[in-house]
Amino acid sequence: MTAPRRLLLGLAVVAVPLLLALLGPLFAGEPGPRAASFTLGGGHWLGTDFVGRDVWQQVLHGGRTVVLTALAATALAYLVALPVGLVSAVTHARRLEELLMRPLDVLLAVPSLLLVLLVASVFTPGAAGLALLVALVNVPDAARIVRAAAAEAAARPAVEALRMQGESWWRVAVGYVGRSSLRTLAADAGIRLTGVLYLVSTAAFLGVGVAPDAADWAVMVDRNRTGLFVQPWAVVVPALLIVALTTGTNLLFDAALEKSPRRKGRRP
Amino acid sequence: MKTAPRGTSSGGPGGLRSFVARRLTLGLVQTAAVVLLVFALTEALPGDAAVALAGDQPDPARIASIREAMDLDRPAHERLADWAAGLPRGDFGTSLTSGRPVAEYIAGGFGPSLLLAALTLALLVPLGFGLGVLAARHEGRLIDRLVSSVTLAVYAVPEFALGVLLVSVFALKLAWLPPTAVGYGTDLIGHPAVLVLPVLVLLARPVCSLSRLVRAGMVDALASPYAAHARRYGVPGARVHYAHALPNALAPAAQQLARTIDWLLCGVIVVEALFVIPGLGTVLLNAVAERDVPVVQGLAVVFGVLTVVLNLAADVVAYRLTPRAGVAA
Amino acid sequence: MNDETDPTTPPEPVAAIHGLRVEIDDRPIVDGVDLRVLPGTVTALVGASGSGKTTTGLALLGEYPPGARVTGEVQRPADGRVGYVPQHPAAVLNPARRVSALLDDLARPRVRHLPRPQRRTAARELVLRALSDARLPDAEALLRRYPHQLSGGQQQRVVLAQALLLGARVVVADEPTTGQDPVTKSGIVDQLAAVAARGIAVVLLSHDLDVVRALADEVLVLRAGRVVESGPAARLWQAPRHEWTRRLLGEQRPAPREEAPADPGLPTLHVRNLTAVHDRATTVLRVPDLALHPRECLAVVGRSGSGKTTLGRCLAGLHRHHDGEILLDGTPLPRSLRHRGRDRLAAVQYVFQDARAAFDEHRPVLHQVARTAVRLRGAGERAATDEASATLARLGLPEDLARRRPGELSGGELQRAALARALLAHPRVLICDEITSGLDTVTRRGILDLLAALVRDRGDLALVLITHDPATAALAHRIAVLDAGEVVEQGPAGRVLTEPRHPFTVALRETIDRLGTYTRA
Repeated sequence: MTAPRRLLLGLAVVAVPLLLALLGPLFAGEPGPRAASFTLGGGHWLGTDFVGRDVWQQVLHGGRTVVLTALAATALAYLVALPVGLVSAVTHARRLEELLMRPLDVLLAVPSLLLVLLVASVFTPGAAGLALLVALVNVPDAARIVRAAAAEAAARPAVEALRMQGESWWRVAVGYVGRSSLRTLAADAGIRLTGVLYLVSTAAFLGVGVAPDAADWAVMVDRNRTGLFVQPWAVVVPALLIVALTTGTNLLFDAALEKSPRRKGRRP
Repeated sequence: MKTAPRGTSSGGPGGLRSFVARRLTLGLVQTAAVVLLVFALTEALPGDAAVALAGDQPDPARIASIREAMDLDRPAHERLADWAAGLPRGDFGTSLTSGRPVAEYIAGGFGPSLLLAALTLALLVPLGFGLGVLAARHEGRLIDRLVSSVTLAVYAVPEFALGVLLVSVFALKLAWLPPTAVGYGTDLIGHPAVLVLPVLVLLARPVCSLSRLVRAGMVDALASPYAAHARRYGVPGARVHYAHALPNALAPAAQQLARTIDWLLCGVIVVEALFVIPGLGTVLLNAVAERDVPVVQGLAVVFGVLTVVLNLAADVVAYRLTPRAGVAA
Repeated sequence: MNDETDPTTPPEPVAAIHGLRVEIDDRPIVDGVDLRVLPGTVTALVGASGSGKTTTGLALLGEYPPGARVTGEVQRPADGRVGYVPQHPAAVLNPARRVSALLDDLARPRVRHLPRPQRRTAARELVLRALSDARLPDAEALLRRYPHQLSGGQQQRVVLAQALLLGARVVVADEPTTGQDPVTKSGIVDQLAAVAARGIAVVLLSHDLDVVRALADEVLVLRAGRVVESGPAARLWQAPRHEWTRRLLGEQRPAPREEAPADPGLPTLHVRNLTAVHDRATTVLRVPDLALHPRECLAVVGRSGSGKTTLGRCLAGLHRHHDGEILLDGTPLPRSLRHRGRDRLAAVQYVFQDARAAFDEHRPVLHQVARTAVRLRGAGERAATDEASATLARLGLPEDLARRRPGELSGGELQRAALARALLAHPRVLICDEITSGLDTVTRRGILDLLAALVRDRGDLALVLITHDPATAALAHRIAVLDAGEVVEQGPAGRVLTEPRHPFTVALRETIDRLGTYTRA
């Protein structure tokens, strides 16, 4: 498949869950009266859920938290990782570099979901708390990637040439090193967003950061599992939407960031 | 760059030894940090920890028993010292809800979790390498495009979503496999059908990432001047593939296996919840739900130390395998 | 090597090319090339980069650029055994396998006729013999190493050993000496001569005329994909028939050196008791005393790793870890350029070896050059751009080229732009670090002429040329020779080169003589 066609495919796959997530609440309307749990038909297009709510309405409401929490967590992670990685790559002070990067190495040892559960066992984080937590889990790895990309650019003679020209630290660090690392960072952002979507939805499935009866695709999968054999739509539809969301994001970034095919031929 | 220090020391056995020493130190620090972090959680509780942990049933007797069980009246550093000293002996404290030792919980859940993880790892390596090599050997052709697209698509899917979809198809629609492990207890080996779906779900993400890395490493190596050189001199194709190109894909693959450990731990927790398997993940989730802090802490330490140790091993292996470019002075 | 072959029985060529034409996108990159490769002789394909010599050489290996349309006839050895020594030998050595891996694979088919139990020993013997034929001592230990643990010279010999083990009857060597210092270069020349002496045909692709002169029996001069002249090396050198050949050979001769300034006066730059360290421990350079006067050109020569680049970087403030003093007009310069104010930063400028890597690939060259005037001399944006444009034009870079990004310029053009960027600071001292290595002869000549003109025209500018290229060093008034971090000799250029005192300088002088082109003005 060519890159433009893969881009289109990615867009098509991600469009459905993304539009549902962002625009769904606008079209959901008022919740109707509750019916019996796990029924099919009876004016309910996708049947009813474990407490008798309309599944389609829940689906319309249930994407927003996942998408927004994931976006916020990714942005937050970079908010910390970018300056930390960039400074530790550009600085000549080894102490500063160690001070910035070492604690992150230590944090890397804790499995991400474990950290989320650990915190959840003591506090009861809401959506914002979950976003913070997921961001925290992602900072060490993101900072390492920023640092590696920036260090590669910072080691080029161009940086010394810029300093030889008397350019300011800011212009060298951001204008050149930052800009040269942009491509790597965009690729990492795609991978990270997919990972964050994974973690946010998994946490929600395990009951972290969400109310037990929340309108949330992951929560729906969890709570309606008991009725899978009676009313599969209440589980399958949200599960499919989550699959489309994560897969589509991944496909989209992969196609968008694919390097233009290099010519392998050597010049005569 | 001309002024860069030349990498003569990095390749020899001395380089490996100092790398292992540095990596071991980091591992020890990480372990200490995990223990500290886990302990710090109870300290981070706002107000009176015992009241906070009692949660929905704040009756004075329960609060008092929590205070008693966790020694909350003693200063924090003494409790930390006691708790940390108990860890190497396998003394993880006692559960708040049942009063049984935490070690009992861990021992009880260990079997099923280990079985799941071991099965997954045993299948992961041949599957990941096999798919990667297969795609790389047919680069650009139908089979490669198929493998690449599927691995890219499945790579990102959370286990719980994939799991319920597989259950819907194979247990509900086709009725080939049992939907959960309910009713089989801890004797999973005796009922292999129960294990098919959980292991399949656990395998999905790591296999995809591993095979993509192997494929990329091998495709790069096959397009490299040294592979062209071997072909030019008449080395047979299979030998170029397996003896000359594949070794270059090993180091990134080993590194990825280390990251997979994190995924496996997360995956095990989700898969156990999804298929109702009584392993460590289920113990952990129950403890989290009941705010049974000592159990959560004990499990967190076990998981954390396991990650540190496995990561360390994978890093050392990757270091051995990593080809180094450049010229010695 | 250069002796004439017996004219009565013309030897059978081991490989030949007739009317080869290679086109990419309907554009010919090789057009009507004829070539006969005789056993035991060295055939050199000479030309600037882009002349089609690599494409022709690779045709002998049966390899063509992807998407190329090939016509003509290429007659390769019947067994297909053609060896290849690329410009960067490390590229064809597998970084993940020990040196022995490919060698064993090559030896195995050659012992297949033996009974199974004897094969392993016999194969190992073949490998060891090939290594010793390629003059690699201590072969057993070498086989266990990884390519990155070998020196550049060892890597090249391992690649050569592979070709010998293959039983190649033709070896194609692609720019084997580019970027090497004279001593290493002379080793490579010996090596290739020894290969030819074994009756193997050597096809040398090179723009390094020193090496071609020392080795070649037959020379083909290529330009834009066509052979403009060919013939025995001696004839071609004595009486080049084609205008382009004459120009190519002419470029080799150094420009007449300007006389040193009569009254040196106070030194612009004075180095006292300089000791530079790497990794805070290893001393890599010791310079007790070195002075640079206005209008003077100083060449710092030495092998790779002799510390000459470190010296340049210390002067420029790019290598902070050093002791001792560097005085500019009598006042000490701060070690790091971070602590050098605008004026002192402008006073000492540095031009990097790899011009492409020294430019920001995202911004137009003109803009980057102009920044020097803005930052270091406080010029306005507009005035700076005008000045940059004028300076670039003077250095031979028209404005429409300067407005492009670095990716669209050639290496030689970028090196001119890099010089302009440094000159816009109006420096007192300009340090040029190997700025001509990696350029072909014609481009290199252009840059050297520029440097000579700079010293002549630019008031009291002093120039430091860090180089291992004799032609570049010939520009200098004074020469300092570095070996293993020590200044082993320094003095007026004429004296150092005609009466070398230190053994290293003597060796350098001898290689220059042996390679044969060093003609002093």
